[in-house]
Amino acid sequence: MNPNSVEVLLVEDNINDAELTIRELRKHHMANNLFHVKDGEEALDFIFGTGKFADSRDLLCKPKVVLLDIQMPKVNGIEVLQKVKSDARTRATPVVILTSSKEDPDIQKCYDLGANSYIVKPVNFESFAEAIKNLGFYWLLLNQQPT
Amino acid sequence: MPVLKIIRSRLLHAVFISACMVLHLYAQPVVSREYQIKAVFIFNFTQFVDWPQTAFPDADAPLVIAVLGDNPFGSYLNETVAGEKINGHPVIVQYYNRTEEIQNCHILFIALSDPQKSEQVISGIKGKSILTIGDSPDFLKRGGMIKFFKRKNNIRFEINPAATKSASLTLSSKLLRVAEIFDPSKKS
Amino acid sequence: MFFKDIPIRRKLMRGIVLICGMVLLVTCISFFGYELYVFRKSTKEKLSTIGKIIAANSTAALAFDSHEDAKEILAALRTEPNIVSAALYDQNGKLFSWYPANRDIREFPEKPGTMQFRLSHNFLEGFQPVAQDKKQLGYLYLKSDLGGMYERFRVFGVVAAFVIILSFLLAWLLSKLLQKSISNPILALAETAKMISEQQDYSVRAVKLGQDELGSLTDAFNNMLTQIEQQNLKLHEFNQNLEMKVKERTIQLESVNKELEAFSYSISHDLRAPLRGIIGFTTILEEDYSSKLDDEARRITAVIRNNTLKMGHLIDDLLTFSRMGRQDIIKTIVHTDQMIEEIIREVVPENRMGKISWVLHPVPDVQGDINALRQVWINLISNAVKYSGNREQPKIEIGSVRERGQTVFFVKDNGVGFDEKYKDKLFRVFQRLHSADEFEGTGVGLAIVEKITSKHGGRVWAEGTLNKGAAFYFTLPDF
Repeated sequence: MNPNSVEVLLVEDNINDAELTIRELRKHHMANNLFHVKDGEEALDFIFGTGKFADSRDLLCKPKVVLLDIQMPKVNGIEVLQKVKSDARTRATPVVILTSSKEDPDIQKCYDLGANSYIVKPVNFESFAEAIKNLGFYWLLLNQQPT
Repeated sequence: MPVLKIIRSRLLHAVFISACMVLHLYAQPVVSREYQIKAVFIFNFTQFVDWPQTAFPDADAPLVIAVLGDNPFGSYLNETVAGEKINGHPVIVQYYNRTEEIQNCHILFIALSDPQKSEQVISGIKGKSILTIGDSPDFLKRGGMIKFFKRKNNIRFEINPAATKSASLTLSSKLLRVAEIFDPSKKS
Repeated sequence: MFFKDIPIRRKLMRGIVLICGMVLLVTCISFFGYELYVFRKSTKEKLSTIGKIIAANSTAALAFDSHEDAKEILAALRTEPNIVSAALYDQNGKLFSWYPANRDIREFPEKPGTMQFRLSHNFLEGFQPVAQDKKQLGYLYLKSDLGGMYERFRVFGVVAAFVIILSFLLAWLLSKLLQKSISNPILALAETAKMISEQQDYSVRAVKLGQDELGSLTDAFNNMLTQIEQQNLKLHEFNQNLEMKVKERTIQLESVNKELEAFSYSISHDLRAPLRGIIGFTTILEEDYSSKLDDEARRITAVIRNNTLKMGHLIDDLLTFSRMGRQDIIKTIVHTDQMIEEIIREVVPENRMGKISWVLHPVPDVQGDINALRQVWINLISNAVKYSGNREQPKIEIGSVRERGQTVFFVKDNGVGFDEKYKDKLFRVFQRLHSADEFEGTGVGLAIVEKITSKHGGRVWAEGTLNKGAAFYFTLPDF
């Protein structure tokens, strides 16, 4: 896949969760331009065109939404969020926190850092599926992106 | 006038004698108060007069009260001195009629009518320690030691201290105080 | 003011002066009495002597009936102003002479009486025999007043008063000086004690002023102070030790708390994720391989899913329970009525909303942690809904009463109720009184309620009757 045509960047270390998320999005035909990275470091490399993606990424081509998990090895979601939202080039990119944590401090911190949305991954699959569907519809189809 | 004088003195004498006789007549059963008192006085004198040691032969010798002449006291004097003792000397009374009968006595009451006789008696016992008592007015002039007299119905007596002194008799000052003191220089 | 409350200074002085006074009084009275006695005696003797002299002098007067002499002798009594009257009686007891001459005869006794000189009506009078050489001549009567005595006593009184006053003054002065030597050390000690207790400075020591009992008192006092000082030091040390220990414990507790927090934090992530995986993939199985699964297989996958869901709930509840325990309550004013309405809308499933009849009484606002209290109401109301689910006409009543100065909130339902003998188990973690087949639940809900209410300083209890219904009460402190 062309890194520059990514619409959805899924940052998720749990492969099961990743699989389930991708499956649902695919169900609704929203996974065509989905790129999955497994940790924060990769995510940052992708977003800022560094490391692995040093050559291949054009920063002007921004994904439509970043689905970001918090608990990740190496660089966790909070850091990624912070970096994304503090850089002028990437600030406008919508970041949806998709995580298991219902803890208030996390929620608060993410919003403080500029997260656009905070979704708790429900254990119940139906709800999960519903959540993903809504996410997809909203951010990929409904939401107007800045150019 | 000499005749009147003689008559007067005789008259006085007569009166005196009759008085005495009357008194004598009546004296027998009752002694006049005057002589009762005098009797008491005579006895009392014994308590106020000190006789010299020589007047008593011994300690038990009697103290003699003698009456010379007409006894005016009746038995009163006897009654008064009955049982009395002066300094251990029993007091007794003796009665003399005549001068010659005078024996050793300590007190001599001279009841003679004749004053000259009294004077004789007095001078006769001069020097002896005998207390001479009388009641004639000039008794002391005549040498007597104690003279009774009346004043306001009281029996008083006059003492001649010189006479008692020459008889070696010591009179208590108390007695002298009660008595009138005879002053020989005074003309009566 | 009682004797025991008078200052020591005055006590000593008054005591000394009083004693002196009493001693003086006793002495004076004794002297006085003695003087009286001696004076009477000497007066009698004097009178007797005068009598004897007069009598001796008047023997001749009596013997020779000399009234004048007697009068003169008696008149000599003029020189003795205390002799009021005198008389001589003759041997027969008849009045012979009297003194003073102008006195009425009737004032004299008629005849001689007792030979002793006696006191009668403030006069001394009596008879004396007049005798010359043991020969009784008469009697002498003498009457003397006690003027001399009164005069004497007047003098005595003045002198005594003077002496007493002087002595009192002296006693007062001396006592004033003396009491100082006793009261000053005592006052100094008292002052030191007061100062020490006021300033709480136990390093001060009292000054020992002598070797007497006060000296030993001072020593004992100082010893006590030393002990107090030492004890204070020990206490202080102990306190500090304690504080240090408390600090340590607090640090330990805090770190434990932090660990727990981190623990539950990681749980909420790490435990949920696999559950999601299980359910997710089971669903995939069901969806993608539905043609290959028979009814039994589908039942099995359902069981897998249900169990996993349950586990998820359990984890949620446990996390809530743990959080409630750790978190401090942030007190704000909570509008309970509003909260209850919201909760009912949230908690009650759509299909049941219509069936349940709600009796909602107005409930007062309270002060407490809004989230925690929310949890309480959620748990109680959802329990009420759950356990009255099998009723034809479920009825839930919510309200509050004022009891013994506290507000008691209640949630009553007419559901299955519970056996009262197990009511102690209700609020314990994982304790359930109904099996999971009858009613789903984790057994943590009520434990959470109990934890929250007790953190607020209130308490929770329940009443229930099997198959009749249950009522849950809780109190919150007034604000």
